[in-house]
Amino acid sequence: MLRRRQLLATAAGAGFAPVALHAQRGTSNVRVGFSQDALTLDPANHRNRETQTIIRNIYDGLLTRDPDMRIVPEIAESWRAVDGKTYEFRLRPNIRFHSGDFLTAEDVAFTFNRLVREGAMGGQTSPRKGLLGPMTEAVAVDERTVRFVLSEPWPILPAMLPFQEVVNRRHVERVGHEGMQTRPDGCGPFRLVEWRRGEAIILERFDNYYGGSLDIPPAGPAQVDRVIFRILPENSARVAALIAGEVDIINELPPSAMRQVEASPNAKVARVNGTRTFFVALNNTKAPFSDLRVRRALNHALDKQAIIARILNNTATPLRGVMSPDAFAFNPDLPEYRHDLARARFLLAEAGVAEGTEMVLDTTAALKEVAEAIAALLSRTGLRVRAQVWEGAVLTPMWQDPARRRDRDMLLTSWGNGSLDPSDIMVPTLRTGGRGNSAGFSNPEVDRLLDAAETELDQAKRAEMYKRAQAIVTDQAPWIFLWLPQDIYGVSKRIAGWRPQADSRINLHRVRIVA
Amino acid sequence: MLLGVSAIVFLMITLTPGDPVEIMLADQRATPEQVAALRRDLGLDRPLVERFLVFLGNALRGDFGISFFHRRPVWDVIAERLPATIELTLFSLLVAVLVAIPLGVIAAVKRDTWLDRALSAASLFGVSLPGFWFGILLILLFAVELRLLPVGGRIGFGFDVLRITGFLLVDTLLAGDIAALRNVLTHLMLPAITLGLPTAALLARVIRSSMAEVLASDYVLFAEAKGLPRRRVLLLHALKNALIPTVTVTAIETGQLLGGNMIVETVFGWPGLGRLVVESIFARNYPLVQAAVLLYAVTYVMLNFAADLLYTALNPKVRL
Repeated sequence: MLRRRQLLATAAGAGFAPVALHAQRGTSNVRVGFSQDALTLDPANHRNRETQTIIRNIYDGLLTRDPDMRIVPEIAESWRAVDGKTYEFRLRPNIRFHSGDFLTAEDVAFTFNRLVREGAMGGQTSPRKGLLGPMTEAVAVDERTVRFVLSEPWPILPAMLPFQEVVNRRHVERVGHEGMQTRPDGCGPFRLVEWRRGEAIILERFDNYYGGSLDIPPAGPAQVDRVIFRILPENSARVAALIAGEVDIINELPPSAMRQVEASPNAKVARVNGTRTFFVALNNTKAPFSDLRVRRALNHALDKQAIIARILNNTATPLRGVMSPDAFAFNPDLPEYRHDLARARFLLAEAGVAEGTEMVLDTTAALKEVAEAIAALLSRTGLRVRAQVWEGAVLTPMWQDPARRRDRDMLLTSWGNGSLDPSDIMVPTLRTGGRGNSAGFSNPEVDRLLDAAETELDQAKRAEMYKRAQAIVTDQAPWIFLWLPQDIYGVSKRIAGWRPQADSRINLHRVRIVA
Repeated sequence: MLLGVSAIVFLMITLTPGDPVEIMLADQRATPEQVAALRRDLGLDRPLVERFLVFLGNALRGDFGISFFHRRPVWDVIAERLPATIELTLFSLLVAVLVAIPLGVIAAVKRDTWLDRALSAASLFGVSLPGFWFGILLILLFAVELRLLPVGGRIGFGFDVLRITGFLLVDTLLAGDIAALRNVLTHLMLPAITLGLPTAALLARVIRSSMAEVLASDYVLFAEAKGLPRRRVLLLHALKNALIPTVTVTAIETGQLLGGNMIVETVFGWPGLGRLVVESIFARNYPLVQAAVLLYAVTYVMLNFAADLLYTALNPKVRL
């Protein structure tokens, strides 16, 4: 203690007496304590959610989502499907980029061709191409009309467009694809002042902003002078910065720190349902998991409410199937595998699984605590389940490869569904051979429904197909269905006009300072 | 030597299980063709031997390729993070030396007293401090409770300092902005203490033992017998010689500090190389990890070489 006091005394003596850490030199700033720096500021050159959260304050898109996740026009004024393979977008007039150039249909066409054409980014192909499915080209019809051409019908195009931002063609020609990484020229509410790599991204209000989506009031220029994304990767440091009043919003607030934030006089906790479905993939191709009774037994055996209450601090919504209740075509009528140990034991015995049978639940370090709880609760059936922790970079490819996962039992994992459309989660995780189908689930009727829904333009019919597919999946129980965690944020009481949204964007256009 | 390091680094990181493409795509939609295209873009579709030879050839020309995730040349990414790490390391070293010398000398002079034992215990504690935990404690005390120092970062946002060298202590001085300089120092405090204290503890032990040895030698006895003041004997005659072994340890410890940065930089949101490397390892960002490890290796070798040179220069008894 002596040493610490000495150090403090030295510090004070050398002139570091209480510094005004919140001095803002007369401007209104909103500061976000953010878990990760942007990888690039080129909207076409990443596949990273955090990067997009930052970029989205600099660039706007054709369409966006309101805080309730409805798809609304942003740069677009209106849109229509000409036929299944052609979409037409009408743009709002008088939109300016930060450089002063006006936004035209040429810019929109250029943006999307840069995304979908092979080698369109100085020889490289945009890593975001996959997010635009079968889109092959974009054509400017006139000054304010742009047409998208698809190689096959793809009804989820509107749901995928909020993931793309419009760039300025002339600016790209001026600075090159390299220059786009660090010198953005968007038409969003804020323009870049300085990017201190790994430390902070400083943005200031763009005074000639066209106002943003008319469906998300209030439209108009941003309400604060500056926005600063401060990079604080360590959870406790982020929480400390919020409580110390150094930042106004923090993302990824750990559930264990919620009470600490609530107890502080100047901050509160804000939560929203996320878009990530958690589940235990059961290796459907391996005995005894190939037996439906065993899969159902495991669903009955797990008291997930206990885990949600005790480990997750009640920050998750239990799921009966794969989809989030907020998603398009969510099936609210799925039956529930009630927690029922007797039923679980009965089903296991019926399937001939002996008591004491050993099973391994694979997971990553981040989910260790949950995995151990699941293993302990499943073991109450008489099975001997233990959790095994792996590094994510090793575990995911292992479970993606049918040959390598042949001997594995169970995998505690999750799949994100940022578009909130079943296509985006059910096709990869439940269609035969899907990239994320770690359970090795294969059901011809589900495959048929998913394929048909992929190209069905009548949204009501599409929804019906997905609802049926969800019912089959829940009935067949390829997974132990778990929950949908909430995204948790800490927010200073000094700001208003912002609430968290399910796609984990932090759009600061409408934030204002109240205290 | 460096060729060996290059080969080991290349093999270790590429043979570590995990696929950068799969990590990059995470759970987003991607057809097998798109996965293949991304792999081709990153040059991962070619055989291991070919990739190694290309890596070696390019590395010899100082070209370490493109960082998978930043999609920019690796050296550019590293170069913009390097000054922050060097600044923190040197400042921590300063903290370590300033703490270690007085403590080491006191322990040697008062050896085998309760004070010496207390300092030994304290330094054992210091050496075993986990930086992660200690850093958070410091944040909670100085930033959250006392509000004396900031939680993290390098400089406050009210300051616009033109970054010429990338070393903010230097840049603020060049700009003549004393307020900014102070602000930078407040930001350096906690990470430097977290990083420097374990080193200080180690150095104090080294100084104690070499000082004790020197104090027992004839010339010190002689100096004291001449009636020279105690302070003069200690600081002028004894300390100078006692510091010689310390120089070597300090140089090697600087290399350790570079490694310790990885944790401290994460805790304090310090935008340095250590954090970048940690993130890159988890993302299997091969080119960046390769270049950074090579850089660490070169630095380590150079530091040891510098230590040897300094040792010879300081100690006339050793001549190469």
